[in-house]
Amino acid sequence: MIGKFALLMALMATVCATGFIHARMPPTTNADRGDAFVPDPAVASVLSLGFDAALADYYWLQAVQAIGGDTRITAELGVHLGKLIDVVTTLDPWVDHPYRFAAVWLTESEENVRQANRLLERGIAHHPNEWRNWFYLGFNQFYYLLENEQAAHSLEQASRLPKAPRYLPRLVARLRSQTADILVAETFLRELIRDTEEESARAEYQNALDEIEIEKKARFLDRAREAFIKLAGRDIMSVDELLAEPHPLLSALPSPEPESLPAALSRGSVWEIDPANERIVSSYYGARYELHFPSREHQRAEQWRAEREGRDSPPSGPGGLDDGES
Amino acid sequence: MKTSVTRIWIIAVNTVREAIRNKLLYTLLFFSVAIIGTAVLIASLSYVEGERIIQDIGLAAIRLFSVGIAIFVGIGLIHGEVDRRTIYTILSKPVSRAEFLLGKFLGLLLTVWLQVILMTVAFVIVTSATGSRIDSGHAAALFLTAMELMVIVALATLFSAFTTPLLAALFTLGVYTLGHLSRDMLALARQAEVEGVKVAATWLYRLLPDLESFNLTIQAVHGLTISPAEIWLPMLYAVGYAIALLFVASFIFQRRDLK
Repeated sequence: MIGKFALLMALMATVCATGFIHARMPPTTNADRGDAFVPDPAVASVLSLGFDAALADYYWLQAVQAIGGDTRITAELGVHLGKLIDVVTTLDPWVDHPYRFAAVWLTESEENVRQANRLLERGIAHHPNEWRNWFYLGFNQFYYLLENEQAAHSLEQASRLPKAPRYLPRLVARLRSQTADILVAETFLRELIRDTEEESARAEYQNALDEIEIEKKARFLDRAREAFIKLAGRDIMSVDELLAEPHPLLSALPSPEPESLPAALSRGSVWEIDPANERIVSSYYGARYELHFPSREHQRAEQWRAEREGRDSPPSGPGGLDDGES
Repeated sequence: MKTSVTRIWIIAVNTVREAIRNKLLYTLLFFSVAIIGTAVLIASLSYVEGERIIQDIGLAAIRLFSVGIAIFVGIGLIHGEVDRRTIYTILSKPVSRAEFLLGKFLGLLLTVWLQVILMTVAFVIVTSATGSRIDSGHAAALFLTAMELMVIVALATLFSAFTTPLLAALFTLGVYTLGHLSRDMLALARQAEVEGVKVAATWLYRLLPDLESFNLTIQAVHGLTISPAEIWLPMLYAVGYAIALLFVASFIFQRRDLK
């Protein structure tokens, strides 16, 4: 009896000790250590031994987990996601959503966006009647790469496909007119919000839409300010002057905060004149939405374009082709 | 007086009876059904295309575990008869070695197909419960899985006719792997500059079972068009390949010293 009891105690002690040790082992995965291995798509395809679809699912779930939670998307993570989606779509090119998943998340560097576009082109090849792949390709070209002509071509292709929204031809015309402005960006973003299933991506697009909303209001105030100058022969000292006698051009100022902002999160923002450039700005953002999409992303796109043009331009100077010595 | 077909059938039925007493069979069946069931949980990790994931995993589990059953249950059938010395009793009757081997093959094939039917029932229940589409494409994919199993069972029978269970399992697994790689090997060899490599790869491709020809999972899951030729050509190929393997197996088994 005592022997059995001692054995039982020994077993419990072993279980407890093992559990104690296990609790001290961090559940780190390869991905956590930053050395997540993603095989070459061709190798994965060969080694799948006919289980291509199940293996594609495995890598797809890895991709979904990689952007889960509060993970901040970086260019490095974008490269990793690009590899994962490349493997997924090589193993099973008839998957549907992963192509647009790549388009949504691979945006942190020009390389990311180019990779997303390559994947979208693969998606287009396997889903020739899916307008959304062309649409996302067009969006990337317009929004991140500033390639309006290619974007117009992509959207034109999208507009010819079943279920494509009817506004697409107008968008194509705007892009081709070289006057792509915030209205084009707004239309794109509204469609993306409608189409995107990821909450975090939708929130990102909504932020961009909010900026556009404030910019449209600021432009409205700009027009009122011009009218004031014509009437009064001088500029306004503050935005409130647009409401005041003797030239009350407006009955009320538009809200300086986005309509989507819950009242509880209001910062009590106001319209003011930016002393740096004398432009009307909402204190909510503190700066004008200068260009046709979020300034941070536009600056980045401009930088990518500059780098691209730097790479593409012919070498000059000593040893270059232009110096006539080569 | 019993005909040859009757004798083969009797051995086959007895083989089924013997196989379904094998605990390994139920273990593999349990895990396959468990994986088909848990596919619902795995699919919930993805916010989209969960139905596709359930079907991918379900069809993969059916293929993987039925191959496992074919190999690990099949390899011991002849060895078990020799080990228990029951083979001497059987062969002392008017039963030829070829009939014995064919009976074993048929019995194992029926056992594996029975398991596939059970796994398919689980797959259909899970798929239907999640509201996923299930149509003739799935039937075609499962039918070709059954054809692939015919080749695998014939391979297991061939190897178990002349070697130990362990080696038979290793050989069958090896050929199974190579059978799924043969198309890729051919494609790679076609890019080679040495003519001999191309010829060797082409011969290997012809010699090894082209197991990728039985894989219609992606077409079934995505509802892609499957032409009749994609079904009947692999079916005829499987029948022909299995017959050829059984001929070789019978030839070897006739000459095997069973003492």
